[in-house]
Amino acid sequence: MIEISSDVIRGYNDTMILNILMKEPSYGYEISKQIRSISDEKYIIKETTLYSAFTRMEKKGHIESFTADQDPDGNGKKRTYYRITDAGKEYYRSKCEEWDLTKEVVERFIEH
Amino acid sequence: METIKSYLEAMFAGMPNSAEVRKAKSELLQMMEDKYNELIESGQSENTAVGTVISEFGNLDELADDLGLTREIEEVRGKEAETPRRQVTLDEVQSYIENRKKKALFLALGIMLCITSVACPIFSPLTHAYTVGVTLMFLCIGAGVGFIIYSGFADSEFRYITKTLCQIDMSTASYVKDKRRSFEPVRALCVTLGVVLCVICWVPCVMFSTTNAVVVGPALLFPIAGIGVFLIVYSNVLIKGFDILLRLNDRTTISGSYKDLPDSEVQYVSKTAQTIAAIYWPVVVCAYLIVSFLTFQWQITWIIWPIAAVMHRVIMINCVKSDE
Repeated sequence: MIEISSDVIRGYNDTMILNILMKEPSYGYEISKQIRSISDEKYIIKETTLYSAFTRMEKKGHIESFTADQDPDGNGKKRTYYRITDAGKEYYRSKCEEWDLTKEVVERFIEH
Repeated sequence: METIKSYLEAMFAGMPNSAEVRKAKSELLQMMEDKYNELIESGQSENTAVGTVISEFGNLDELADDLGLTREIEEVRGKEAETPRRQVTLDEVQSYIENRKKKALFLALGIMLCITSVACPIFSPLTHAYTVGVTLMFLCIGAGVGFIIYSGFADSEFRYITKTLCQIDMSTASYVKDKRRSFEPVRALCVTLGVVLCVICWVPCVMFSTTNAVVVGPALLFPIAGIGVFLIVYSNVLIKGFDILLRLNDRTTISGSYKDLPDSEVQYVSKTAQTIAAIYWPVVVCAYLIVSFLTFQWQITWIIWPIAAVMHRVIMINCVKSDE
């Protein structure tokens, strides 16, 4: 079975995460679960990839982290949540445009 | 879940103990825990769940780059090159512990002999041989002091552990931790027994005070107190050995630290508890002095100390937050 090459998709991990955060703030495992289900289980993001994306984007100011209690039934344990910033939304738009262009260019060289 | 924790621990073994790394570690653990819990809930076996979580973890090189840790790792390696840390092997750790037992035994025996020695001349009136009693006392003291000095030299071949910078790896650390944990109940028993013996050592004095053999009481007081002190000293010296080993690693070592760093203070359950703990010993001292000066019964008022020590233990158990 063909698997997604991590080299190719690396540039778009941030885009996927931002897309999920556009809807609502979320936390690590929830985001990885959504990526898996939206991609029909075709792409499973590694924990280390996800965490480094968080730190990278936080440094660039695309997302912000905050701590909140775990789910309503939570036992008082805190969890780190992430939310998208305005700069992040802007970055997301530009990445979407970039992808359209990339796709258009690469597509012309693909024969089935 | 333990497997996942030790996997993560092993993955991070080569990282410096900076705040960033600790945060990364706890965040990653959280994600892995979430995934693990959900897999278990969905009916997967423990082994499958652990396998899935670990296979989807990724690798830390990527993370090190993104966290800007490459520089920190270099730094720690640089520090290591400047002042190399001696890696203490499992074999060395084992023989250190064996040696520590010997040291503890001789030190405790020495102190016990010195305390017990006083009993010899007290006993001697019974046998009408004063000189024998006094000679025996000095022999005991001599032997005791000899033992104490010997115990000081006993670990000279392991002096490097405290004198030079050392570190231990994770498996060695968990070996030491296991040893320490299994010794903990023995130590509790020794200390309790020791304190009890010290507290009740005057009982023979009361028992024999009305009989013909009045001297038996004081003569037994010292050996009993000696045994009590022996138990306390022996178990404390031994446990300190484990702690010395576990403290070898610190913030600057490349492997994780295995013992809470000294800056972590005792956590009290409440403000009141903290106050009680703070004023406890001063209050005991005042009580001792006041009672003693008012009654002038110094020969008996010392009993406040052992009682206060036992009470302190009981109070502290209720006042201090435990880590678990």
